[in-house]
Amino acid sequence: MWWRMNEAIRMQLSAFVDGELPDNEAELLLRRLSQDAELRQHVAEYMAIGRAIRGDTQVAGVDGLRDRIAATIDEAPSHDDAVDEVPAGERMIRPLVGFAIAATVAVVAIFGLQRMLVIDGQAPQTANNQESSSYTEPPGDTLEDVLLREFRRKHAESAWQQRISTRLTSLEFSEDFIEIESEDKEVEAATE
Amino acid sequence: MSRAQPQPLRSAAAFFAVCGMLLAVPVVQAETGDPHEWLGRMTSAVETTNYEGTVIRITGGEAEALKVLHTVDDGVIREKLIAQEGDGLEIIRNGNEVHWILPERQSVLVEAWNDQSTLFSTLPSSDIQFGNEYDVMVVREDRVAGHKTVLIAIRPHDEYRFGHRIWLDKGTGFPLQTQLIDAEGQVLVQVKFAEITLDKKILASDLTPSYNIENFKWYNPSRREVTQVVDSPWGVDDLPVGFRMISMHEEMLPGSENAVAHLLFSDGLANVSVFIAVHDGNNFAETSNVGASNSYSILMDNYRVTAVGEVPPATVERFAMSTRSR
Repeated sequence: MWWRMNEAIRMQLSAFVDGELPDNEAELLLRRLSQDAELRQHVAEYMAIGRAIRGDTQVAGVDGLRDRIAATIDEAPSHDDAVDEVPAGERMIRPLVGFAIAATVAVVAIFGLQRMLVIDGQAPQTANNQESSSYTEPPGDTLEDVLLREFRRKHAESAWQQRISTRLTSLEFSEDFIEIESEDKEVEAATE
Repeated sequence: MSRAQPQPLRSAAAFFAVCGMLLAVPVVQAETGDPHEWLGRMTSAVETTNYEGTVIRITGGEAEALKVLHTVDDGVIREKLIAQEGDGLEIIRNGNEVHWILPERQSVLVEAWNDQSTLFSTLPSSDIQFGNEYDVMVVREDRVAGHKTVLIAIRPHDEYRFGHRIWLDKGTGFPLQTQLIDAEGQVLVQVKFAEITLDKKILASDLTPSYNIENFKWYNPSRREVTQVVDSPWGVDDLPVGFRMISMHEEMLPGSENAVAHLLFSDGLANVSVFIAVHDGNNFAETSNVGASNSYSILMDNYRVTAVGEVPPATVERFAMSTRSR
């Protein structure tokens, strides 16, 4: 149960939920969440209970993640910043680690937590919707871990099945994009 | 075209099944011809037809629409797909090079496709050896997106695979609607053209990005090392009838620190992958479902064995449960 969580992590999570955790710590927390299914379970329970107690419908830390992904992209080094290291006339590729990991972990965390809440039936209910609901929503997709998602993607590629649809849904999860330096920009930079 | 000959017991079952279907739709079937000829026309039409239209894909209560422009010139496929919802994603394909344009991220993802996959990669071709596992038949004439069509049904004989319905343009054989069907006749996935212009003249300028991507960042997925395995210690003991192993690989995948063995099986239409990975100690769900795709995972010694495929849950369970280290 959630109260068995390490106290430090619980404090960290509480700050994260309130949107008060520094970005570098939030990224570490999300990375850990993405790799530890048991911790995700604890966190989901903790968040559901906390939200139910407060009657919240918003989780500041999670809801801001998409904006933070966008911000991470904006902050990525531009081509011009890196031209000194790039030999002119040669196409170079280099990892863009920050954006890739942040985006991947954030999306995994959002989907993982949301699905966990649905599966466990612990989604917060306000007094209002407890009284007025006359039906239940259909269950969402069952929980997928990172490896299973990779298996599904790899299967679809290998079987040539629904390739486009598969990529549409898996695009956000790719953690291994590599930035391509365009030849034109390198030539331009070299001549300046 | 050659097709596998039925075995005696199965041929009897196939005979009665076909008789039943003939009784159900005797007149239209006689008028609309051999279903295998229709599949042949379909394969040819998909490979050679230029078109522009809007295709809708519906699965699990979710619908997504894509505007599609497609042209084939000397066997080279060029196409542009524009997502009609969400973030305005565009996919532009020029032969084997594919650009995924994400306008909100100001990014372009570049991929190389070494196959001929298109929107219609899920469709059977006339080359598929259906063997004893499916009946293929013409059901009736119908109308889709304003076009007269012929409905082809591909029905499995057992519970280990899904069925298909395909509506083909009567004039060209082009597929205008497809459905993936479960054992209860429920539609799991449906792809349908809301509107389409066949044999449309598509200019090169029509296939350029809609956005100014001059200042976009360009990305490549990192290359993964793939090793062909000639003699894997893994195998599946109890394959459903008609399935056979197509390929066997070992490769590194995100989420696994060790090489993962990947065994791919097919019955000519349905495909199932079995992945064997060293267990990392994390918990995992035994079953999972996304749209028509099901998976079943078990822990075997120190390995996680996962079967995945667009097949019924019983099929992936049978694959996973009968995976053995030889």
